[in-house]
Amino acid sequence: MPQIITEENLRNLIDLLVKESKVVVGPKETGSVVLYQPLTAGSDLRLDSLPRRSAKELFFPICENILTYQRQDGKMQVTDVDRSHFPETVLIGAPPCDAASPAILDAVFSWDYNDEFYLERRRKSTIVGIACTKGDDACFCTAVGLARDTEAGSDLFLTPLKDGSYGCKAVTEKGKALVDAHAALFGEAASVDAALFVEQGTEKLDLAKIKNWLEGHFEDPLWEKIADICVGCGSCAFICPACHCFDINDEGSTEQGSRRKHWDACGFSKFTNHASGHNPRDVQNKRYRNRIMHKFKYYDDKFGKTLCTGCGRCVRACPVGIDIAEILSTINAKQD
Amino acid sequence: MCQSKNIYLPNLATIEAIVDETPDVRTLRLVFQDDQVRENFSFRAGQFAEYSAFGAGESTFCIASAPTRKGYIECCFRSVGRVTESLRRLEVGDSIGVRGPYGNSFPIEQFYGKSLVFIAGGIALPPLRTVIWNCLDLRDKFKDITIVYGARSEADLVYKRELAEWQERDDVRLVKCVDPGGNGPDFDGKVGFVPNVLEEAAPSSENAVALVCGPPIMIKFTLPVLERLGFADDQIYTTLENRMKCGVGKCGRCNVGNVYVCKDGPVFTAGEVKAMSQEF
Ligand SMILES: Cc1cc2nc3c(=O)[nH]c(=O)nc-3n(C[C@H](O)[C@H](O)[C@H](O)COP(=O)(O)OP(=O)(O)OC[C@H]3O[C@@H](n4cnc5c(N)ncnc54)[C@H](O)[C@@H]3O)c2cc1C
Ligand code: SF4
Ligand code: SF4
Ligand code: FES
Repeated sequence: MPQIITEENLRNLIDLLVKESKVVVGPKETGSVVLYQPLTAGSDLRLDSLPRRSAKELFFPICENILTYQRQDGKMQVTDVDRSHFPETVLIGAPPCDAASPAILDAVFSWDYNDEFYLERRRKSTIVGIACTKGDDACFCTAVGLARDTEAGSDLFLTPLKDGSYGCKAVTEKGKALVDAHAALFGEAASVDAALFVEQGTEKLDLAKIKNWLEGHFEDPLWEKIADICVGCGSCAFICPACHCFDINDEGSTEQGSRRKHWDACGFSKFTNHASGHNPRDVQNKRYRNRIMHKFKYYDDKFGKTLCTGCGRCVRACPVGIDIAEILSTINAKQD
Repeated sequence: MCQSKNIYLPNLATIEAIVDETPDVRTLRLVFQDDQVRENFSFRAGQFAEYSAFGAGESTFCIASAPTRKGYIECCFRSVGRVTESLRRLEVGDSIGVRGPYGNSFPIEQFYGKSLVFIAGGIALPPLRTVIWNCLDLRDKFKDITIVYGARSEADLVYKRELAEWQERDDVRLVKCVDPGGNGPDFDGKVGFVPNVLEEAAPSSENAVALVCGPPIMIKFTLPVLERLGFADDQIYTTLENRMKCGVGKCGRCNVGNVYVCKDGPVFTAGEVKAMSQEF
C-alpha cells in the first residue's frame, strides 16, 4: 500500500524536526514575497507559490567564509572553517525544478577537486520534494525534460492528493530514514488519487538538437539580436537554481579578516576581464551567449547534464524581458 | 576538528628574497613554512598557483622557478591591481599564501632529443623561464636551444641577470630584442618586434618544438612566422591566461567553450587553441 501523510501531519513533522534541532527550510512568506527560509513551525509552510529565489543557497550560500586569517605575534595564521558544525537540514516543499538542481550541481562541485563547503551541506541535507500543481506563464520545466512529478533529486517525494493529503515515496535511503524516524505521522492510503496539474502548455524542446545547433553557431546573428538589450544586471544568474559561478575575495585588513566565496555572474562585464585590459567577452551579447552555451552545451559536454531546470525565474526577473524559453524554442525551430 | 580537506586553504610561505626586475615587475622567492609541505611540494613546469596577500585576495601566477630547483618556489608578477599591489607592499620575512600547483604542464619528456625554441614577450618570460631552467638543468637531453625574448624597451626586459647568463653560455642561443625606440645607446641586442626578429633568427623546425608566451597580439603575429619556418600546429605550445579565481574548475570563470583553462590548461598546443576557435 502506498503511504500518505495528511496536511496536518506534514506540519507536525516540521514541528518535530525543529524540536530535534534540525534546520527545516521551506517556502515561507517573508515580507511581500515567498522565499525559502528556515521554518520555525509547521504553520510557516506555504505551498501555493514558487519561492522568488531558488533553494540552491542552502548548499551554496550567497556568501560564506572559506577561511579566516590573523596575525599573531608577527606571524600569520590561517584557520579553516569548521564544517562539522554545518547543521542537519531538511528542505521541505521544493517542486521538481528546485529539487533537481542540487543533483545537477553535484557534478561541478565534486569534479576532481571536492568543494567540501558545498558537499558537506549536501551530505547533511534531506530534500522533500513535492509534485507541482501549478505552472505559470514563465514555467517550462516540462520543456527541458522534467515533469510535474519528477522525483529525481528528492529524497522523499510528496504528491498532493485530491483529498488534501500527500502521497509519499521514499526515493533514497535518506528519505526512507526520515519516514522511518517519524513513522507515526505516515499512514497507508487505500487509493491515491493525485490532484490535477494545470499544464503550462509549453512545447517540448529537443535538447540534443538545441545543443547541436549551439555547437555550430557560436557566431550567429541571433546573439546580437536577442542579447544586445541585456543590461548585465546578473539577476537571471542570482535567482537561478543551477548557476554556480562564484568569486573569492578577502574582507578585513592585512592583520585580520576572512576570505569569502560569493556568487558571481558571467553577465557582469568584468567577469572575464584580464588585468591587461583585454576582455574575451567584451560586449554584452557575448556574455549572454556564454550563459546559454554554458547551460545547454558546455555543462552537458562536460558532465552530461543540462544546467537549467525550467523554473522560469530568470524569465520573470529579467528587467528587459529576455525570455530564455522563447530563445530555446526559436533555436529548437531552426532547420539548419 | 576532523573534516575533509578545504581546497581553498593556502599554505603559508615566507618571502625569502625580493628582486625588482623592472619598475613594476617583481620576483619573490618563497619558502613554505611547514616542513612537510616544503619537502613534499612538487610541480611541473607550466603549472600555476594562487598566491594570496591577506586582506586583498588571491592572484594567479605561473610558478616561475624550475621544478629541478628544490626547497623554494619563485613567482614573478607585474603590479596591475588590487592583489598585485598588495603583494608588492610585502617585505622579506612576510607571509604569503600559496595554493597549488594547478593545471597541466609542458610535456618536457616528449621534448627529449629535440631542439627547443622559446619565444617570449614582455612579462611573459616567467611561464617559459621555468621550462628554460628545467631544460638547461637537463641540458644533454636536448639538441639546440634558442631563446627569442623581446620587450617594449630595455627597461621592460625581465630577468636581465639571467639573460646575461644565457648570453654567456655556448649551449644556448639567446636573441634579445626591444621595440624600435626602446633601445638605449649601449643596447647589445636587436631592435625590432619579436615576430620579425624570430623570422630573421630562423631556427630550424626540424625535430623541434616552439614554446610561445606573450601578449595576444605578439602570439597572433608570431604563429604565421613559425608556420613559415615549418613548425606544424602540434609542434607549437603556448599558455592561455584567462582570468581565474578558484583554479580548480568550480568558479566558472576561465572557460573557453567546454575547456576549463585552469584544469585542462593552461598549456595548449597551437592546434588545440585553433580547434577552440572561440573567445580567449
Ligand atoms: C595561468 C595564469 C598565469 C599567470 N601568470 C602570471 C605571471 O607569471 N605574472 C604576472 O604578472 N601575471 C600572471 N598572470 C596574470 C595575473 O593573474 C593578473 O595580472 C593578476 O591576477 C592581477 O591581479 P590584481 O588583483 O592585481 O588585479 P585586479 O585588481 O584584478 O585588476 C584587474 C584590472 O582592473 C584594473 N583595476 C584594478 N583596480 C582598479 C581600480 N581601483 N580602478 C580601476 N581599475 C582597476 C587593473 O588595472 C587591471 O586592469 C597569470 C594569469 C593566469 C591565468
Ligand atoms: S536558466 Fe532560468 S529557467 Fe533555467 S533554471 Fe535558471 S532561472 Fe530557471
Ligand atoms: S536578468 Fe536579463 S538583463 Fe539581467 S543579466 Fe540576465 S538577461 Fe541580462
Ligand atoms: S579558475 Fe575557476 S573554473 Fe577555472
